[in-house]
Amino acid sequence: MKHITSLFFVIFAAYMFSAGDGAPCGDYGECDTFEPDLWNNESLQKGFSTYINYCYGCHSLKYSRWNRIATDLDIPEDLMFKYLIFDSEVKSGDLMTGSMIKFNAEQWFGVAPPDLTLVTRAHSPEWVYTYLRTFYEDGSKQYGVNNLVYPGAAMPNVLLSLQGQQILGCKDMLTYASNGGVKRDETGNNITEERCGYLLSLNNGQLSTEEFDQLIYDLTNFLTYVGEPAKRVRERMGWYVIFFFIIFTALAHLLYREYQKDYH
Amino acid sequence: MDTIYKWFNERLPISNTFERHLSKHPVPKKVNFWYLFGALASVVLIVQILSGIWLMFGYENSEEGAFASVEYIMRDIDYGWLIRYMHTTGASMFFAVVYLHMFRGLLYGSYKKPRELVWIFGMSIYLIMMAEGFLGYVLPYGQMSYWGAQVIISLFGAIPYIGESLEIWIRGDYYISGSTISRFFALHVVALPLMLIALVFMHLVALHEVGAGNPEGIDIEKHLDDDGIPLDSVPFFPYKVLNALVGIGVFGTVFAIFMFFFPEGGGYFIEAPNFEEANPLSTPEHIAPVWYYSPYYSMLRAVPDKLGGFVVMAAAVAILFVVPWLDRSKVNSIRYKGIWSKIAILLFAVSFITLGYLGTVPVTEIRTLMSIICTVIYFSFFLLMPIYTSFEKTSVPPERL
Repeated sequence: MKHITSLFFVIFAAYMFSAGDGAPCGDYGECDTFEPDLWNNESLQKGFSTYINYCYGCHSLKYSRWNRIATDLDIPEDLMFKYLIFDSEVKSGDLMTGSMIKFNAEQWFGVAPPDLTLVTRAHSPEWVYTYLRTFYEDGSKQYGVNNLVYPGAAMPNVLLSLQGQQILGCKDMLTYASNGGVKRDETGNNITEERCGYLLSLNNGQLSTEEFDQLIYDLTNFLTYVGEPAKRVRERMGWYVIFFFIIFTALAHLLYREYQKDYH
Repeated sequence: MDTIYKWFNERLPISNTFERHLSKHPVPKKVNFWYLFGALASVVLIVQILSGIWLMFGYENSEEGAFASVEYIMRDIDYGWLIRYMHTTGASMFFAVVYLHMFRGLLYGSYKKPRELVWIFGMSIYLIMMAEGFLGYVLPYGQMSYWGAQVIISLFGAIPYIGESLEIWIRGDYYISGSTISRFFALHVVALPLMLIALVFMHLVALHEVGAGNPEGIDIEKHLDDDGIPLDSVPFFPYKVLNALVGIGVFGTVFAIFMFFFPEGGGYFIEAPNFEEANPLSTPEHIAPVWYYSPYYSMLRAVPDKLGGFVVMAAAVAILFVVPWLDRSKVNSIRYKGIWSKIAILLFAVSFITLGYLGTVPVTEIRTLMSIICTVIYFSFFLLMPIYTSFEKTSVPPERL
């Protein structure tokens, strides 16, 4: 019986952790790795500022309030009003409903730009981080760009001036033998094969690749925070609760053992 | 103090009830961890009721307001996120402990005479829980709430003659709308919880009437002391309560790990598309139920015909009710049953878990084939039970625990 039980759990565990299907980042394949750093207020503040300057014109954060972000990210409210809130009618406790009228938006873009409060939860932070870095030139599209992660996205590349243009091109890739080693010809040179569908940067933006990646990192970090502001406290509180339950279990066990002596 | 107690006791059966159901209620002295899940299920039920009441303080049951009100709870209400995750994690934990509790019943023959009614009340609880969980999943009105409801409600549409009117009757509209949310809300927070509590009460009353089982599957009432109390029993309070406390401690730790560190449960507790508001114009790529329904969802998809799938799914739940009459074995516990029962229950467990996995991933040809095989195994376990339990060679359980 014990064997049956343990087998039961092994199989259960194996299924629970088995991988899902399909590439999570569309034509790009696996998403780039992204590790959020939710206690890094400097990164979150930069991301917030990038969001307001480049995204908020079209994308609201309608479930979030201005003053919640100010408090969490340590931004003095007067500075927020001075540098980040461009609408004089906004009060600090208001929801960040954005400034675009839905009807106009549909006229301009075909679809209204979605609210992004929960975008990192509906997709994943990795998805957002990769998506924002994989626009490429495509003359057949309305805005002259397409996206590898979300092909056909109805969004112009608003960060184009910072990142510079990217094109979809081909590059020579190493080829591998079945044993995992790199294939070489008789003279010892690596055998390469041209593969296509890769992003090539024209390096004509205001930022270097590293600087741009950092900008997107901060922006994604901010969006991860705004997707679930409670996450910062949640994980801290979790350790205390788990600690409590471990002590509780130990004490309950001792007491149980003591009482068990009555009938053993 | 004593006079007050006496005054009440003469008017209410306080000490009687306490003695009968707690301090003097005899329970088998030797059971294993499988016997903890019933107590854990009642703990989760209380967690669900309390967290549910607190959620209602902030929830708005309308088409326009439902999704936003959940985010309002998550952000603007103090510790609202804690309450919400407690409820969502609690739902999954409820099913986890109930599945283990049910499996315990199958392992040790907890449904056998004289515990048939205990089993039937338990199965009714499970049935109501499935409805309760489904209704609750619709309330946040995310994409998966909407499309999951669409799939489930359309199943009723497959019933001949009355199907279409039945669908409209369930939705309260021609499509899923505010009226659907209002009625699902009423059912989720009032009607079904009342039924659940009543059934749990009956489950316990019936259990206390016939006494709890044990892993040896033997009747402890055969050996009584001079006072008529089973020799192999201990009073429920404090011995079993302390035992349960240890279980609650371990369970609380697991619960807290999920609730605080993996509240989405890797997409199995809260699915990612549910962080997008319901949109009737855009179908998610892949509609999958939460993990606790996925075995039945696999069965549904394994049958090409919609009505057929619905019938198979309903039969899969219905067949559980008659298990007490399918098991013809002389012994209760798997420990003393023959090799066929052991193989059967192993295959059953593996196929149920496989079906569960298959229900969460998109269909392919090979997966459909696997679903069909597992569905056949699932039903064979029950339908062949009268045969293999009556013909196999059993061993003799001990007299005493």
